[in-house]
Amino acid sequence: MSFRIRGPNASSGMGMADHSKNTFMELKKKKAHRYVIFKIDEKKNEVVVEKTGGSAENYDDFAESLPEDDCRYAVYDFDFVTSENCQKSKIFFIAWSPAISRIRAKMLYATSKDSVKRALDGVHYEIQATDPTEMDLEVIRDRAH
Amino acid sequence: MPQLAETYACAPSTERGRGILISGDPKSNSILYCNGRSVIIRYLDRPLDVQVYGEHGYPATVARYSPNGEWIASGDVSGTVRIWGTHNDFVLKNEFRVLSGRIDDIQWSPDSQRIVASGDGKGKSLVRAFMWDSGSNVGDFDGHSRRALSCAFKPTRPFRIVTCGEDFLVNFYEGPPFKFKLSHRDHTNFVNCVRFSPDGNRFISVSSDKKGILYDAKTGDKIGELSSEDGHKGSIYAVSWSPDSMQVLTVSADKSAKLWEISEDNNGVVKKTLTCPGAGGVDDMLVGCLWQNDHIVTVSLGGTIYLYSASDLDKAPIEFSGHIKNVSSLIVLKSEPKFILSSSYDGVILKWIQGVGYSGKLERKVVSQIKCFAAVEEEIVSSGFDNKVWRFSLRGDQCGDGDCIDVGNQPKDVGLALLSPDLALVSIDTGVVLLRGTKVVSTIQLGFTVTACSVSPNGTEAIVGGEDGKLHVYSLTGDTLKEEAVLEKHRGAITVIRYSPDVSMIASADANREAVVWDCASREVKLKNMLFHTARINCLAWSPNSSMVATGSLDTCVIVYEVEKPAASRMTIKGAHLGGVYGLAFIDDDSVVSSGEDACIRLWKVTPQ
Repeated sequence: MSFRIRGPNASSGMGMADHSKNTFMELKKKKAHRYVIFKIDEKKNEVVVEKTGGSAENYDDFAESLPEDDCRYAVYDFDFVTSENCQKSKIFFIAWSPAISRIRAKMLYATSKDSVKRALDGVHYEIQATDPTEMDLEVIRDRAH
Repeated sequence: MPQLAETYACAPSTERGRGILISGDPKSNSILYCNGRSVIIRYLDRPLDVQVYGEHGYPATVARYSPNGEWIASGDVSGTVRIWGTHNDFVLKNEFRVLSGRIDDIQWSPDSQRIVASGDGKGKSLVRAFMWDSGSNVGDFDGHSRRALSCAFKPTRPFRIVTCGEDFLVNFYEGPPFKFKLSHRDHTNFVNCVRFSPDGNRFISVSSDKKGILYDAKTGDKIGELSSEDGHKGSIYAVSWSPDSMQVLTVSADKSAKLWEISEDNNGVVKKTLTCPGAGGVDDMLVGCLWQNDHIVTVSLGGTIYLYSASDLDKAPIEFSGHIKNVSSLIVLKSEPKFILSSSYDGVILKWIQGVGYSGKLERKVVSQIKCFAAVEEEIVSSGFDNKVWRFSLRGDQCGDGDCIDVGNQPKDVGLALLSPDLALVSIDTGVVLLRGTKVVSTIQLGFTVTACSVSPNGTEAIVGGEDGKLHVYSLTGDTLKEEAVLEKHRGAITVIRYSPDVSMIASADANREAVVWDCASREVKLKNMLFHTARINCLAWSPNSSMVATGSLDTCVIVYEVEKPAASRMTIKGAHLGGVYGLAFIDDDSVVSSGEDACIRLWKVTPQ
């Protein structure tokens, strides 16, 4: 008998669906979307795309698309102007785990987070938010520079 | 962004049986005193302009300007002396751990190079003198066996230091480097204060044995004393010289301050006695004094500061006061001009007017502690830590005889129906008590632990919040409550519930940092995600036009939200009160008053974006 040795952190056996990886590439390379929201599909045991937002949408639209009482993963493409007056764009990975969601959901999303992040190559910053104030636009602006 | 408009400062913290030492700067006409962990700088000509230094980690005891007016040295109960700049945002120059116990007095040398500090040392050195920039010792100060209550530095060369203490001794040191020269044991009780005259020729020590003794400044020999004829009849707590070194001001526990003329033969004769114009009682004992330029400042045990003019002693003094302890509630009365009533848990209720400042202290016949406080026009309802609710009428500065109502349990919250003020709802442990006038109409057990309650202004609806975070809405008819709905959103014990002035909305806040605005009629959430505090929310207030809600929390911040906009577009006042914000009220649609643990009340101008 041989046991496959698990990594240093506990992780579930979740995988990223190909469609999810492709949608992320579209956001990164072609700037086709402003944001992508991922959901864990327990039956198929993989991470799928729940919603994408067009480039015209802004941060408030994105914040409203996140459910109040369930966890999600999200990537958001944030455009801003730096202090030296150059236009920059950074990709944020947001682990949305509200305090009022079910414990099973929190556990599931927390353990799968690492494999999802590994698949999403090119993310600049990560934010963990447990309530809407933690992913406020101010917080994003502070982190991006 | 909210701007600080006015500060109604706290009073110096006082202790019965001990004097306090206040100091000042003649050039900028300001006085310095300490309350809690803050050092307060007040300008005698601009009472609303107050600066607060809150960087001490322990309660501060004494603060003193350097002779050049640039630095302030302040000491606290842990034995630390902090030296910081007067201008430039109080930049810290140095911090030294000088003694191992509380610091009672600090003095600068006249060239601003050396500092002597005296206090309690737990057996080791009770007095230390050090260089202000390096902290290195400049002498040995043995000679005291008990707490050294005061010290003084001779203002002219040759330098001498005098200390006095609870061992009844007055010690004289020569230097630098300072060495013990001689000791006097002429007093028969604690020697409370010792001061050199500004010209450097004499120094005086005053004591709890009601005597004052004068000594020569160069040699330290006794040269005279304050005459006992017409002298003080109680312990003398502090002494201050006049700028011309001819007169001395002493304050005492016999509630009077006396001016003594020091004659050629170095004896003092009473020139004038200033009695404290207070209402009598222990609070009028005078514990601190300062003579600066033309101003004579005396401080009473109750925290009232009396300002006399030295050239015109018969003129009535200007009185100003403040809270000494945590100001736990604030109410704005809708009279003309708008009065702000503030109460602290020791039972002190003060009145303030916007733009003017201190306006009076409400004289109460029975001074009971206050935990919850509600007021409408001419009536005040308060409850303390016992089982009673007090109701008294307010006429000018006098409180009428109160009626007290026993409600059976310690009241947790008091709600008053603003339009029919004889109806009051008091929440006790597991139920509520309905009061009409001074009679208990009914006591209703609700079955859950009640934490906060509120009555609608017309008295037909009541909301009771429980420890589990649920808000129970009841309709009030006669003397019964009928449960209409239960609102669930909060995740912690409810701390405060308030109806909006137009009675269309309710705002509630909990101990889990969240506030929610509900619509009254539909009982739906109107504004949520008001989660920007980082500690329990203590108080909540509506603006008169019902468009803004302000919340104050233990994390020292006040956040103002606009009901029509999302919670994220909020205005935050950070660091409003050291220790936490406990009271909040709107004066008009763009001014908020907040009060907190630091015993100060601050007025902020808030303009909606």
